Amino acid sequence: MLAFVIRRCIFLIFVLVGISLLIFSILMTFSPERRAAAYVQSPQQAQNIPGIIQQYGLDQPFYVQYKQWMIQTFRGNFGWSLVAAQPVWDAFCQYFPVTLELNIYAVPLTLIIGIYLGTLSGIYRGSFIDHFTRIVAIIGWSLPTFLFALVLLMIFYGYFGWFGTGIIGDDFQLYLLNHPDQFIRYTGLYTIDGILNGHSAICMDALKRLILPVITQVFVVVALLMRITRSSMIEELSKDYIITARAKGANDKIVYYKHARKNALIPTITVAGQLIALSMEGSVAVEIVFNRHGMGWWLVSSATQLDTPVLMFMCMFMGLVFVLSNLICDLLIAWWDPRIRLSTS
Amino acid sequence: MKQPVIIIGLCLLLIISATDGQSKSKHPDRFVFASYGNVQTLDPCMAYDTTSHQRILNIYEPLIFYDGSAVDQYIPVIAKKVPSLENGGISLDGMTYTFEIRNDIKFHEGQTLSPEDVIYSFKRNMIADPEGGPIWLLLEPLLGISSTRDENGHILPEVWGKIEQAITISNQNVVFHLIRPYPPFLSILCSSVGVIINKKWSISKGCWNGNFNDAPKYNNPKMGREPLQKIANGTGPFRFKSWEVSKEFIFECNEQYRGKKPAIKVAIFKFVKEWSTRKMMLQNGDADRVSVDSMHIPEVLSLKGLSFYKVPQLSVSGALFCRNINKIGNPYIGSGQLDGNGIPPNFFSDIHIRKAFLHAFDRDMYRRDVLNNMAIVPTSPNIEGLPYHANTPFYKYDPQKIVEHLKQAWNGKAWKKGFHMTIVYNTGNEMREAAALMLAENLMALNRHIQIEVQNVDWKDYLVNYRNYMYPFFLIGWSADYADPHNFIFNFMHSQGILGKYIHYNNPEIDQLCEKGIQVVTSTERKSIYEKLQHAWYENAIGILLYQQVNFRAYRDDINGFVLNPIFDDEWEDLKTLYRR
Repeated sequence: MLAFVIRRCIFLIFVLVGISLLIFSILMTFSPERRAAAYVQSPQQAQNIPGIIQQYGLDQPFYVQYKQWMIQTFRGNFGWSLVAAQPVWDAFCQYFPVTLELNIYAVPLTLIIGIYLGTLSGIYRGSFIDHFTRIVAIIGWSLPTFLFALVLLMIFYGYFGWFGTGIIGDDFQLYLLNHPDQFIRYTGLYTIDGILNGHSAICMDALKRLILPVITQVFVVVALLMRITRSSMIEELSKDYIITARAKGANDKIVYYKHARKNALIPTITVAGQLIALSMEGSVAVEIVFNRHGMGWWLVSSATQLDTPVLMFMCMFMGLVFVLSNLICDLLIAWWDPRIRLSTS
Repeated sequence: MKQPVIIIGLCLLLIISATDGQSKSKHPDRFVFASYGNVQTLDPCMAYDTTSHQRILNIYEPLIFYDGSAVDQYIPVIAKKVPSLENGGISLDGMTYTFEIRNDIKFHEGQTLSPEDVIYSFKRNMIADPEGGPIWLLLEPLLGISSTRDENGHILPEVWGKIEQAITISNQNVVFHLIRPYPPFLSILCSSVGVIINKKWSISKGCWNGNFNDAPKYNNPKMGREPLQKIANGTGPFRFKSWEVSKEFIFECNEQYRGKKPAIKVAIFKFVKEWSTRKMMLQNGDADRVSVDSMHIPEVLSLKGLSFYKVPQLSVSGALFCRNINKIGNPYIGSGQLDGNGIPPNFFSDIHIRKAFLHAFDRDMYRRDVLNNMAIVPTSPNIEGLPYHANTPFYKYDPQKIVEHLKQAWNGKAWKKGFHMTIVYNTGNEMREAAALMLAENLMALNRHIQIEVQNVDWKDYLVNYRNYMYPFFLIGWSADYADPHNFIFNFMHSQGILGKYIHYNNPEIDQLCEKGIQVVTSTERKSIYEKLQHAWYENAIGILLYQQVNFRAYRDDINGFVLNPIFDDEWEDLKTLYRR
């Protein structure tokens, strides 16, 4: 297993170099003027475009710019984010915890609900629960996230005045600014830091503001997991070993949950791994509507403004996340099903 | 199944009830504003966006500032009085400005402000002069140049010596030596390039060390390399408390501020991109003011507990005719000839074509149906609110006159053969899109040989293309750097103006008038020059002015004391005057 992990880690280096070359090449297809325009907001500033090209070396050959970027990256300097008005790494440290905090609650809920409902609809195919989950899945997939988030916000915040937007309330924010020594940012996640610092009110306030974004995120993502689990369950339940188990008199619960579901979860683990990896780049709709700007907002804004250093960094980061998530999924599947062995050849 | 549902329900109830009361409490000394403006920097040498200006001008102070809503009247702030020709503060030739500096002003970190800090602030800005930054505003009147570097990025010879001599101290007064008379100079001093920083503190933070031999090291810092980007030590009524980019900016009242203390103790400026979220924040009282785009005004008008205000802005959008279009690989001019399938590169050099387009713009319908009567349709670049604004004639929508001018244009060829061209606007700007469509439809309706397409491109591409003379007819906006007609008229009409040069407009007589407008000092002379130029805009049919924005503001009705000045846009809020009833 160790050899497998080491091999994957070496593979990671090639993946990252490949991604960086690819993205850099794509970005180089934009003219220097077009890339310099990213620094410009008004016609007044536009007259300085030649100076900006010269200052940032945007007219240098591809290999010179790529080499420069590589050198800076190895030194830990990922560049300056125009969108975030701060160094790329600092911006990442600001936005990533926001996305992570949402996912910490949304991902387990998605997994639990998706697997649970998927299993039920697989077992009770054609029943009310199957139809119900199908409708939920269709709505979840077809309803735009942005619209669903807005509807939730309008009902619960707009009409009832519950939950609130943002990451934390103004009172708490000011309290934290005025008493920096009483609240240490261990993790950057308010819900966890609130508990670690003994400020349960801050934790509760942050949790309250997470409810609607988490519901939106879960509702949108759970559909895929539910349908995968359902079809795997149906497939497993029709296999010979299940018929044998039933013939031997095993009760339904053991057949469904111990035998069938265990095998049915293998494709689910693979899909869940991809979903978790994907969720690390954030959801722009959820972040914008609930005013918790994280990775999704940052990535989309950077893409529209051609914020090159951010785009390069984000592609590297997502490459890293996907390679690691695939590795973890492979290890998990091997542990889950002893019949599967990791290939080292 | 039932148990987990009950447990989850109870948890939700607990979370809602545990914190709801606290977050809803309203604070009489707190002001919350939600908008989508993002601050770029707190460094006065770098800030060239309205959001950064708002932050800087509440933390730092300039020598003088606008008097309330006026754009041509000033009050002293760090200076003891506003210099004028009458009080001798401005020399008769208009080239020397003398400011007596107050000696009772303290920075937030306790240092006393001195004339030395004043000259350091201006010299440091000019030495830094970042590419694409606002420092040309100081360099132009003081040194007669727009950058400290040449086109190749090399520092101009003797520029440091000129900067050194441009501002001096005489008997504890700060004296600005202008290279030529520059009437808008006082207005420039009211902007964020004119705020005063503390010399010792700035040097300790990595700003220019005061030695001109080391000046090149501090010239043209890259974005993010400016030392004062995220720190501040001003003399203003508010201190910088915290700033999380794309989240919020928090001001805290400066309790040591001289004179009347601000009623607002904490001001929070939140970055809220989504309109519905901003609207609900305003409705629920979680924000005292939010940014409202014109298309959302009807929604806001129906909300209760708000008061509404309109402020005409010193910004204008127009559509300009390019008289010498770049024909190389240009898809917007068809065949590139007047053969019915395109237009020649100099198509708009014929005044009749320009006049036909001007008559095709239905101002009344545009104001009513597109602008919802919430904006002004200007008649010249010297828009309402600027000094020397005059009511000039304008071209009315008239199909008969369109036909007449088209028949005269290009010896009748334009009408007989027709033409094919594309009008391009920047994606997302609905008002410009509507103007382009209106012109295209009004012209095409008169002659089936006229084919005008309307296309949109991303703003960054748009910028690059119009700079390369690719668009026969481009729609662009201009916002005031300072409140003077020179900033608008020169840039629209002079052959070297920022917009004028991209339309290849070259009229020596108008160039001369534009230059004279900035060289004379007396109001009467300037008035006469700018009136002539405003009429010339009409007579020469230089372009179509589409709209002058009117900023719509919605405040919670217990908020009072705001000062609405046309030079500042929606992001502006002078916090020291605000109070809650």
